[in-house]
Amino acid sequence: MALLLSRTAERLYWAARYLERAEDTSRMVLAFGELFDDLPPARSGILGDGRWTALLAVFGNGVTDDDTLTENDVAQRLIVDPDRPGSVASSVGLARENLRTTRELLPRAAWRAVNDLSLFVNDEVGRAADRRFRGRVLRRVVDDSRRLDGILTSSMTRDDAWEVWRLGRYLERADMTTRVVGVRAAALMAQDPDEIAYDEVHWMGVLRSLSALQMYQRATRGPIEASQVVKFLLFSDDFPRSVLFCLSEIDRCLERLTDSEPVRHAVVEARSALLSIMTVADDGADLDDAMDWVQSLLAKVHRATTDRYLSIGG
Amino acid sequence: MDELLDDDGAPRPAARPLYEFLERLGPDELAARQRATELDILTMGITFTVYSDGENIDRAWPFDVIPRIISGREWDGVVAGLQQRLVAINRFIDDLYHDQKIVADGVFPADLLAESVNFRPECVGVDPKYGVWAHISGSDLVRDDDGTMYVLEDNLRVPSGVSYVIENRAVTKRAFPELFEGERIRPVDTYTDELDRLLTSLAPEGVDDPQVAVLTPGIYNSAYFEHSFLAQRMGAELVEGGDLMVGSDDCVYMHTTRGRQRVHVIYRRVDDLFLDPEVFRADSMLGVPGLMRAWTAGNVGIANAPGAGVADDKCVYAWVPDIIRYYLGEEPLIANVPTYRCMYDDEREYVLDHLDELVMKPANESGGYGITIGNRATEEELAACAKEILDDPRNWVAQPILSLSTVPTLVPDPDPPAVGERDGAPPPVLRARHVDLRPFILTGADSYVSDGGLTRVALEEGSLIVNSSQGGGSKDTWIVDDLAHAPAPAPADSVQSQGVD
Repeated sequence: MALLLSRTAERLYWAARYLERAEDTSRMVLAFGELFDDLPPARSGILGDGRWTALLAVFGNGVTDDDTLTENDVAQRLIVDPDRPGSVASSVGLARENLRTTRELLPRAAWRAVNDLSLFVNDEVGRAADRRFRGRVLRRVVDDSRRLDGILTSSMTRDDAWEVWRLGRYLERADMTTRVVGVRAAALMAQDPDEIAYDEVHWMGVLRSLSALQMYQRATRGPIEASQVVKFLLFSDDFPRSVLFCLSEIDRCLERLTDSEPVRHAVVEARSALLSIMTVADDGADLDDAMDWVQSLLAKVHRATTDRYLSIGG
Repeated sequence: MDELLDDDGAPRPAARPLYEFLERLGPDELAARQRATELDILTMGITFTVYSDGENIDRAWPFDVIPRIISGREWDGVVAGLQQRLVAINRFIDDLYHDQKIVADGVFPADLLAESVNFRPECVGVDPKYGVWAHISGSDLVRDDDGTMYVLEDNLRVPSGVSYVIENRAVTKRAFPELFEGERIRPVDTYTDELDRLLTSLAPEGVDDPQVAVLTPGIYNSAYFEHSFLAQRMGAELVEGGDLMVGSDDCVYMHTTRGRQRVHVIYRRVDDLFLDPEVFRADSMLGVPGLMRAWTAGNVGIANAPGAGVADDKCVYAWVPDIIRYYLGEEPLIANVPTYRCMYDDEREYVLDHLDELVMKPANESGGYGITIGNRATEEELAACAKEILDDPRNWVAQPILSLSTVPTLVPDPDPPAVGERDGAPPPVLRARHVDLRPFILTGADSYVSDGGLTRVALEEGSLIVNSSQGGGSKDTWIVDDLAHAPAPAPADSVQSQGVD
């Protein structure tokens, strides 16, 4: 078994998280941009003037009650601004920097894919504030992130480096799904369904933002309905972006790493917390709180992982 | 002299296929291929790091698509000369750390050794495997006007550049696939296998499957790309000082996700003085406390061995021909550039009288820093240089200004056609630019020399400064075997007799 230095493991783990974050953020902005196109022009209410601003809440990204922010401002913050933590530009840059310094672990094509993406983002991301070019930039980020997964899946040895990579990916993904469900779904459900026209369109946007629309439809073979969507995104056993699925994959990674008990214990905790909220899945405000709780437990998994594998003396 | 063209501008024999090919290609297509290689280098992420304004910038590797060509027969002579040189230098280092016979016999001056800043008393009496200290060296070669190859300096500490040799070839193959089909160009790819074999051979006795690690100063080092590249190609771990520790058993371990794991061989790309804060600089954050203990106990192989730098000194350089004669009883197969040693009164006086005809070099700088080129310096610069020589004569040597050979190189057209005469940017033009060459020599139980090496090119007209840290470029170097001189196939009857057996 090829060995993995703790320091290199840390860089690889963060590379995986940043790349997943860049992909998820890109898809989210794309999906909600398309959703807003389908809605009538700005009106008051939860998706009124501040509907782009509401996107910032998903990322926990600063002030959300600032109604003066325009679509362009939000795009700047979430995509373009390289100094803003979590922006697509910053995440891609950090993924590249972490992989530049772990090149010896990955198949060469993987490094090329990320380096290529980073060069593209450096050149083009400034145009993503403009709606006409935004799709091109964001789709490239999503596609390249998945291309990298493909390269690794088909050509990387299943060693510790592979498990650490997957661990980073799934943890970030689980976190992102809880954020979308928490903020968006809770806000939508808190309204009386009759008051919101286009209810189904909103939920389609939520599903699309997590690449889940088609799989949801295949799985439920029914109409798009609030509590079903939330159940699917949180508890599906086999949809690869559901929180439960991500936790199972994380546990599987840990199974193959040595001395993983403390980390697996944190995973068990997060998983039972998740399952315990199945009953509140119908109530918007409670759901929002519940997602915060799950997120704090995912953070515990992250800390346990860092202590055990990513720091010297772990 | 130009290496590709003779004085009449006609191609030399080894360069003829390339010359004819470039003529058919035409300037626009050539420009397109140069652009394609630059893009290739960018997307492959072939970079080097420069320090500028306190920031580290990861820059694309500068590359010129026109290769430099050396005939195989000439190269074989260079290889023999370099192997001889490094065997002798290693005997010299081993002698200095043991009986110092060469000093006792009056061949190498005792005061020079006494004043050497690169002699490490901590290494006295240590017996590295095969008696070899400088396992990996990169000797810089230059060719003078008359075509003679000279060794300009021996880099025995942490020479870098070999990763770019291999990458330059990969890029050139994509730029000129047509040429590789028809010519016999020696491959350069096998270097990392040879290096791996050498490093593995340095493991402590009795270790079957040694763990090799490349020790880098870190991600901001200018040669980090290379450290990572070599680790990748050898399947070695790329480690920083903080990843390693020396246990109470005087063995070296690295921190991994599976706990502490033993390391048997370290290819260190960290300078001696930073290797072990217990022994050398106590403030070093790059090294590993206790590493020297582990090494002297024979529990880890280190390449290059600590202390090997004693022979990498522009003063010692002047004695290398004597060193070869002393240890091997042979004449040097490859020449030294004549070198004046400022520690000697007569040689120093000659230097001070002829400053404008010489290149003055401080003994312990590398990367082209601190050099004064006599015929290009101002009066003030020469006076300042003279003062520095007088202040510390031991630290200075001087050499005649060689007229480095040139190779045609793509440069921006200095006299572009007027606007409107053509579409788009004018294609670059070919102009003669000075080059040097750094082959890589591996010395262990056996010797190996890379086929060719790193050709660096000064991109400014007339400039002799080739260092990439100072704006130089690089070229692929082809060692080309004449197809007509290929080894003859074995005679038919010997094949038959094998069949009968």
